[in-house]
Amino acid sequence: MSNNRYKLHWITAVIEVLKTLKEMIIPLVVLVFANGLKDLGTGKWYIDYASFIIFGILIVTFFITGVIKWKRFEYWFEEDELRIEYGLFVKKKRYIPFDRIQSLDYTEGILHRPLKLVKVKVETAGSSSAKKSEAELTAITKDAAKRIEMEIAEAKNRRKAIPVEQSELVEELRIEESVQVKSIFALSAKDLFILATTSGGIGVILSGAAIFLSQFSEMIPFEWMYEEVSGFIKYGLVIVAIVVFLGFVVVWGLSVAMTFLSYYGFSVALEGQDIVIARGLLEKKRMTVPLNRVQSVRIVENPVRQLFGYAAVVIDSAGGGGAEGAKINLFPLVKKAAINGSLQEIFPELVLDEPNNKLPVRGKRFYYRIDFLWMAPTVGALIYFFFPYGLLSLFIIPVIILFGLWQHRSAAYKIAGNQLTVRFRGFSLQTTFLMKKRIQSMEMKQNYFHKRKHVATLATSIKSGMGSFRAQVFHMEESEAERILSWYEKSINKKEQQE
Amino acid sequence: MMQTAILLVIAIGAGVLVYLFDGPWWIYVIATVAVLLFAYLFVYLFPKVRWVRWRYEVRESEIELQHGLFIVKRTLIPMVRVQHVDTAQGPILRKYNLAEITISTAATNHTIPALITEEADDLRGRISVLARVAVDDV
Repeated sequence: MSNNRYKLHWITAVIEVLKTLKEMIIPLVVLVFANGLKDLGTGKWYIDYASFIIFGILIVTFFITGVIKWKRFEYWFEEDELRIEYGLFVKKKRYIPFDRIQSLDYTEGILHRPLKLVKVKVETAGSSSAKKSEAELTAITKDAAKRIEMEIAEAKNRRKAIPVEQSELVEELRIEESVQVKSIFALSAKDLFILATTSGGIGVILSGAAIFLSQFSEMIPFEWMYEEVSGFIKYGLVIVAIVVFLGFVVVWGLSVAMTFLSYYGFSVALEGQDIVIARGLLEKKRMTVPLNRVQSVRIVENPVRQLFGYAAVVIDSAGGGGAEGAKINLFPLVKKAAINGSLQEIFPELVLDEPNNKLPVRGKRFYYRIDFLWMAPTVGALIYFFFPYGLLSLFIIPVIILFGLWQHRSAAYKIAGNQLTVRFRGFSLQTTFLMKKRIQSMEMKQNYFHKRKHVATLATSIKSGMGSFRAQVFHMEESEAERILSWYEKSINKKEQQE
Repeated sequence: MMQTAILLVIAIGAGVLVYLFDGPWWIYVIATVAVLLFAYLFVYLFPKVRWVRWRYEVRESEIELQHGLFIVKRTLIPMVRVQHVDTAQGPILRKYNLAEITISTAATNHTIPALITEEADDLRGRISVLARVAVDDV
């Protein structure tokens, strides 16, 4: 084991400075504009330009601290640990045992690319804070990154070599597997366009535009009496419509551009026991998810995509913190028909059948009845205060009821061996595949009306990053909910008896 | 308790306004009745029903909780999923020799409120032993 101490690439200092500047930009701008622009006219240059001087000193300080931080940062390998030493005033040491390292995630920013560098994030199972990974090497050469990977793999093999006599066969298999790299999935340019067009962002903007337009159309009858004015408004409306349309096109273009930036070259590969996801145009990201950290697989279909037979596949990972680490877009956009094949390749043990147990008809009413609690007063108030137009709000009632019925019809569940498949609709349709061993707890909820109709709501919690994800089937058959609960309960007992 | 106090403040405010602006007398009555009813429900009846309904059972391989006023929740936590158990005791709970116990899994927390301290300690010990024995199965 080499005891060489490695440093980061010098570009780290630059990145550090830029990062600090970015964080400080608002206070700095405030400082300069608040003081710098008015001429005090005291005649003393150092008072007149005080803010600029402070500004300059700050920048120099940032630069110096950046350089010192870079100089101070060292990492090395010792006793099967990745050891890091850093800190400006307080020297901090962090030792991460290789066993605890879940994955190394690579990011290549714009500054990294020309120098063939990468940023390495070391992910462990329980990162202490939700946002930051355990350790971050801001910029190292690709060779250095390879070296870290090799050190870890070597150490892991060495560790395994001790009990190897007992399980030589398994060991061989594992080594063979770890060499294999199987490409599973990639996004084409056409997919990216569809992804951008059907993503939620567009919908929000579209509805915003619709509200905007409806505002204008409601103004017309009021102004209709004045013919002259109406002509102008009509003319104006055309312009407004064109502007809105153009705005929509621009937004769509932006959405496409953003999608291209972050998802360009999206590909998923299986490397031994890890899923490797690479993406990005300017900033290339490479993320590794160990298979045994995957807590659930979800197929998400928003209504627009469902219409065109597209879906997205999301996985929840236990490792890594924060929203990004927990919920991972495995396939951001995929033809529904193509999901099963690719998913089966990654998760061979997963039963991907459609959940076929539907909900009882008598649970239907629960999907919309609760909405009357807010609907009735709202509609009542609208009718009362805006009498003629307020009646329009009555239309919301059938819409909500239909939506509820739609949710009722979409919901389904299925038990297959050790797996529970749950399908439910918030707005998007979600089909969640849960392995029994990944379910952290299960809950059955019933209120008074539920009990009378013998229906119940079943909620399962799984771990997702630092937090949890809940998959719920609302208002299902009571006896079925109990069956699932006892399914969850039973096999644990059974195993206990075997021992 | 807190809601009742807030409601009381609102009711007093209403009373003062009525007094200042010579409002009708029945507003006093409504305010009083509302506060009393609210106090009865939220300080006496609901906690009592909640307390009566609370059930927990610690079996060898799982913990089952059942509680709820309008919505009755039945929760099942397998022993293998239990990560750690905490007991906590605030000043009020301490005065009555009570403690609450929180069972944490990797994803969720489940709290049993207001157990007798010895019972809570005993339960904590038992769960932690059982959780250690339980072997990951599937």
